[in-house]
Amino acid sequence: MTFSADPLERRLQLSGILLILGLLVEAFCLFWTQPIAFVLFIGVGGLLLGLGILLFLLTLVSKHQPHH
Amino acid sequence: MAPAVLPLLLLIVATAVLIGLLVFRPGLTASKGGKILAFFVLFLLPLICLGMGTDYHIGRSESTTFCLSCHEMQPFGRSLTVDDPGHLAAAHFQYHRVPADEACYTCHTNYAMFGTLRAKMHGLKHVYVHYLGTPPAPAAIRLYDPFNNRECLHCHLGARSFEEGAVHNADPDLLPAVKTNKLSCLSSGCHETVHNVGALDKEKFWKGVP
Repeated sequence: MTFSADPLERRLQLSGILLILGLLVEAFCLFWTQPIAFVLFIGVGGLLLGLGILLFLLTLVSKHQPHH
Repeated sequence: MAPAVLPLLLLIVATAVLIGLLVFRPGLTASKGGKILAFFVLFLLPLICLGMGTDYHIGRSESTTFCLSCHEMQPFGRSLTVDDPGHLAAAHFQYHRVPADEACYTCHTNYAMFGTLRAKMHGLKHVYVHYLGTPPAPAAIRLYDPFNNRECLHCHLGARSFEEGAVHNADPDLLPAVKTNKLSCLSSGCHETVHNVGALDKEKFWKGVP
């Protein structure tokens, strides 16, 4: 995988990577029955998903300067 | 009750695959359809996954097996199978006065506003003590507050066995005192043997349904 030269697309890629990591943590926690799984789900998975969504929203409102 | 894990897992996998598509082909977002796809897979679907995941974990945290997964709680789980109906927790569990798969939560949640939230905050504290603190011996574990009759009355209030019980009506002042929490169901000497984990080695145990 290569990062796009376009800053907007690069931010979307970064947002996607954060979201995929968050979803992986969430999927892992579904099969972990110990109570710590909930803490990991919220603390790590929730944080990664939150950051990914926030980065996507920031990308939407940021000024787009196309790569030349 | 925890919702089924398979639909959530499928949603997580589908979302991750779609996000992967955008990560590898970010140029897709240049078109109108790509922008709509990005909104769904980078915003809406992860939010739904997070919400469903939280619901799943909160549901699972109410199960008896979840509570008993910490070794500190295992004697309390064992006390549910004491072969003596005089043991309050055992009788409630074995006679299905509480749902067997949510036995701990049913009695130990708080049936007041924010009771579930309070129970979850206590749970987080338990996780902290389990992993980073020094858990007390099971027999030394105590409730945060004296058990409130409100939790008993949530089910028993209005029930014929409770309202018309001979012992409950032997003294006309007893039921009003119980209903206003002035006389504790547990510590008044009537139903005081609850888990009694310090004396389990002297008990006989019910083997359960084969």
